[in-house]
Amino acid sequence: MKKVLSVDDSGVMRRIIGRTVEVLGYGFLEAANGVEALEVIARNHEEIALVILDVNMPEMNGFEVLSRLKADPVLKAIPVMMLTTEADRPRIIQAIQAGAVNYLCKPFQADDLTVKIAESLGEGF
Amino acid sequence: MMADAISATEFRLLRDLIERLCGIALGDEKTYLVETRLAPLLAENGCQDFGAFYRLVSSDPSPQLRDKIVDAMTTNETLWFRDTHPFSILRDRLLPQLAADLSQGSRFRIRIWSAASSTGQEPYSIAMTIHEFCRSNPAVRPDQFEILATDISPSALFVAKLGRYDQAAIARGLPEPLRDRYFHQEGHVWTVNDELKRMVTFRKFNLQDPMEALGRFDIVFLRYVAIYFSDGFKRQIYGGIARLLAPEGHLIISAVESLRGISEDFQQLTHGSGSYYQCQLS
Repeated sequence: MKKVLSVDDSGVMRRIIGRTVEVLGYGFLEAANGVEALEVIARNHEEIALVILDVNMPEMNGFEVLSRLKADPVLKAIPVMMLTTEADRPRIIQAIQAGAVNYLCKPFQADDLTVKIAESLGEGF
Repeated sequence: MMADAISATEFRLLRDLIERLCGIALGDEKTYLVETRLAPLLAENGCQDFGAFYRLVSSDPSPQLRDKIVDAMTTNETLWFRDTHPFSILRDRLLPQLAADLSQGSRFRIRIWSAASSTGQEPYSIAMTIHEFCRSNPAVRPDQFEILATDISPSALFVAKLGRYDQAAIARGLPEPLRDRYFHQEGHVWTVNDELKRMVTFRKFNLQDPMEALGRFDIVFLRYVAIYFSDGFKRQIYGGIARLLAPEGHLIISAVESLRGISEDFQQLTHGSGSYYQCQLS
């Protein structure tokens, strides 16, 4: 089963994303920070269909995780969706240019999260 | 790292705060709602748990964060049976006449268009209303009704077609007896039963495209969409729907939308506190 990885320092947010991913019929992986995320991706990259990256995390932020993934010849193919706040909006253009396929600003409505994840997975197209 | 769930104490504190801020009284069973709606605000404000978030709100004299809480708790997400009255109009006014036509053989099939179906709640709510009507009117059958559900977003259509909803989504406006009759539960996920899915055809459609290819309809639901359009585009859409409707067919829009000054092809009718429109073109 293909899986979605949520990278977020908020356990509650990871749980909400996990429920949404389950609704869409995907497996779920989680990481609480960027360093942990890179470890999880290295171990599971063949089954990861999407990474959902929170921008604001301690240690290594979402932009840095994104640039590391996109610099890796194997991992760069994994689609990445960014979770941001309104304040990060200007930097989102950079993230899309750096290879993120989608983004969603917090706070968001649950329906929007479901549709955005489906969109990032290429479902329906 | 954050706590995995809101504690009972944190829920009580936030529940009381929400009631003070916007008058919404939440029962204990609404814990998930507070958690789901406020979690993005916790993350946005760097709070480690709901207790820290409550302390932040309590110590912050500015209205911004409080406004965001009110917004998060009151903004309508897609609801089952949204606004209630469109579905009572369907049940009490439109279906009885259509059922009589079916019984007398003057119609063989009823077609309904849900023109902005999003993640599926509206077309499945229409399907449940029809099913419930047929249960008390055995002369008509659900398979005599066809619901076309369209949306511009392929991903929204994918979610709608899956017909799978989590606990929070399933609880928004869906009465438990209907949930138990028309959905089945697997873990945290509720899935629409096949009897409802069979009634609904999902299809990508852009309202800017010619509508004729969709065929004729007896009822069109077009709600919470036209509010975003220019008057010129509204005229184009409502004109197209008028030509698409069967003689004396009906259009249902939301209470925040109006045909006044936009279309003269419809007559406004009322039922209880709700309005609906009958096409005047022959």
